[in-house]
Amino acid sequence: MLEIKDLHASVDGTPILKGISLSIGKGEVHAIMGPNGSGKSTLSNVLAGREDYEITGGSITYKGKDLFDLAIEERAAAGIFLAFQYPIEIPGVTTMTFLKTAVNAQRKARGEEELDAVRFLKLVRAKAALLNVSDDMLRRPLNVGFSGGEKKRTETLQMSLLEPSLAILDETDSGLDIDALKVVAEGVNALRTAERSMVVITHYQRLLDYIVPDFVHVLAGGRIVRSGGKELALELEETGYANVGESAA
Amino acid sequence: MTDQAHAYLDANAAPTGGPAWLDTRRRAARASFVDAGFPNRRVEAWRYTDLVRLMAKTDWVPAEQKTGAVLLPNGCVNPFATIPSWILVLVNGFFRADLSVLSDLPEGVEIVSLDEALAGGTKFETAFDANGPETIAPITALNAACARDGAVLRVADGVQLERPVQLVHYTDAELPIATHTRHVIELGADASMTLLETQIGWGGAYLADRVSNVTLGERSSLTHLRVEDEGAEAIHLSTVLADVSADAKYVATTLALGGLGGRLQTAVRFAGEGAHAESNTAYLMRGTQHIDTTIVVDHAVSNCTSAALAKGVLDGEATGVFQGKVIVAPHAQKSDAKQMSNALLLSRDAAMNAKPELEIYADDVQCAHGSTIGEIDGEALFFLRSRGIDEETARRLLIGAFLSDVLEFVPHEAARVALEERAHAWFETSRNGGL
Repeated sequence: MLEIKDLHASVDGTPILKGISLSIGKGEVHAIMGPNGSGKSTLSNVLAGREDYEITGGSITYKGKDLFDLAIEERAAAGIFLAFQYPIEIPGVTTMTFLKTAVNAQRKARGEEELDAVRFLKLVRAKAALLNVSDDMLRRPLNVGFSGGEKKRTETLQMSLLEPSLAILDETDSGLDIDALKVVAEGVNALRTAERSMVVITHYQRLLDYIVPDFVHVLAGGRIVRSGGKELALELEETGYANVGESAA
Repeated sequence: MTDQAHAYLDANAAPTGGPAWLDTRRRAARASFVDAGFPNRRVEAWRYTDLVRLMAKTDWVPAEQKTGAVLLPNGCVNPFATIPSWILVLVNGFFRADLSVLSDLPEGVEIVSLDEALAGGTKFETAFDANGPETIAPITALNAACARDGAVLRVADGVQLERPVQLVHYTDAELPIATHTRHVIELGADASMTLLETQIGWGGAYLADRVSNVTLGERSSLTHLRVEDEGAEAIHLSTVLADVSADAKYVATTLALGGLGGRLQTAVRFAGEGAHAESNTAYLMRGTQHIDTTIVVDHAVSNCTSAALAKGVLDGEATGVFQGKVIVAPHAQKSDAKQMSNALLLSRDAAMNAKPELEIYADDVQCAHGSTIGEIDGEALFFLRSRGIDEETARRLLIGAFLSDVLEFVPHEAARVALEERAHAWFETSRNGGL
């Protein structure tokens, strides 16, 4: 699914990622943990194609293709989905209009028939109900005046409608209390399939109690310093990141 | 006194020989205009829109009555065409009965051309000398001196029109013609009307100058929706002088896309308590277009509310201007006035000038004004693209969202849709700038 080899990336000339290699297979859920400033968000943004980052070395192959050949929207159409740490508010564009534009843009890019208003409404209503996204939220401008939980549920609804093959969840737990976190995690878990891979980026182990990963990687100083199974997350909870970093150095 | 103004009036002023009261006013207007000349950038109210420079480009000739079919070139369309309405059409500034739809008017509604009204002996007590505040007075004087035709819309007390009235202006400029049009719009007490105005032109350079004198009786309501879609080389001046009586409402939304240089002037004066006026403007400009939105609201009495919002998209080397002035008279307590200008620059070479002016002489008032100038939000653009929406569509979505504060709240549904569609069509030719 995704093959990252010796990836180096900089922001404004400052190296942030310093040689990351990671292989993610179909249907696998990988957690990437690490302290602030370790490069977690940079990695997710580089995968989604944000243009503020300069790739200075290495390669990323996605479904056999060079990811760097694809524009942001082409990556999306090819099945990459980034759930934002801080979902963007867009005044003037209703959630419904945005969702329909996004779904049909991807269908069009893949050569599929676009959904008409009636079919789309039926689809979105069914999926929104599962995530407790109300009709009122669908009618309101995207994320404007939404609570933290409502924003993350709306992000999850986008994932559910766009059906990505690789979902990257960037600090999905930030801004959520435990109840809101459970609702979002349930929504994400419902989207786990044997075909869909996920990268779950988080600072805290807490999220991984609810979205249980197959693999855990620890990112520190722009490199993956340890990899293991889900038990690694529990170990980090007890020992903290400092020891991990040292043991790798 | 200036030679330019003299020469212009010699060629373009309306001939005398009409009713004595009108000749008197026209002479006074000529004298007043010649005295000051075309306003230029040394006049504070015209600092960003130099009419001397704009008008010096060509020798203007007076427009003449044009007969026969009017063929709109490709891309020119009246966006309100399919809305059932009473329609008064002016071509090159003159009324065209053959193109207008004015049959079956309800009792108490008068819609005639200015020429016809004058010929019928109507005397306009104030329309030709209501020169408005200093900011816009040079243009109302010019217009009073030169206007030959226009529309007279009068709605009697208590009459509520169930269909809109349209004023459609076409300008077909084979020569550099100057058109000066005067409209007189009067609503009696408790009357209401939706007025749809379209201004479309083509051909070469021309001047389209229109002044509308709006008088609203007590508790009356006028919804005034305009599309300013003048030709690529046109200079347009569009002025509304609104006198709003107690508990009356004037609600205007303007979509401006056309012209080389333009100024939309609105002067509202509250004549009675409890009145409300709002003027919302959306403009989309590119190339070397220039658009100036100037609004003056005179809270002459207590307990009135006013709001002005201008939202503009500037591409290429286009320039925008917003001048908003609020005057609150010493006794006009409980006045509530808001003014806001937001501009979205799509290119490094586009420019925006915003200037608020507050003259507040009362102490128990609320006056708010603000201005923002920005570019398309990179975060929002990245977000939309990350959901599979291509960059062009994402930009259009964000620009549409930016303008939605103006276009979304238009109180006439079919007209709202028409305005949104017209704004959206602007993108189709948006290749000469940042997009």
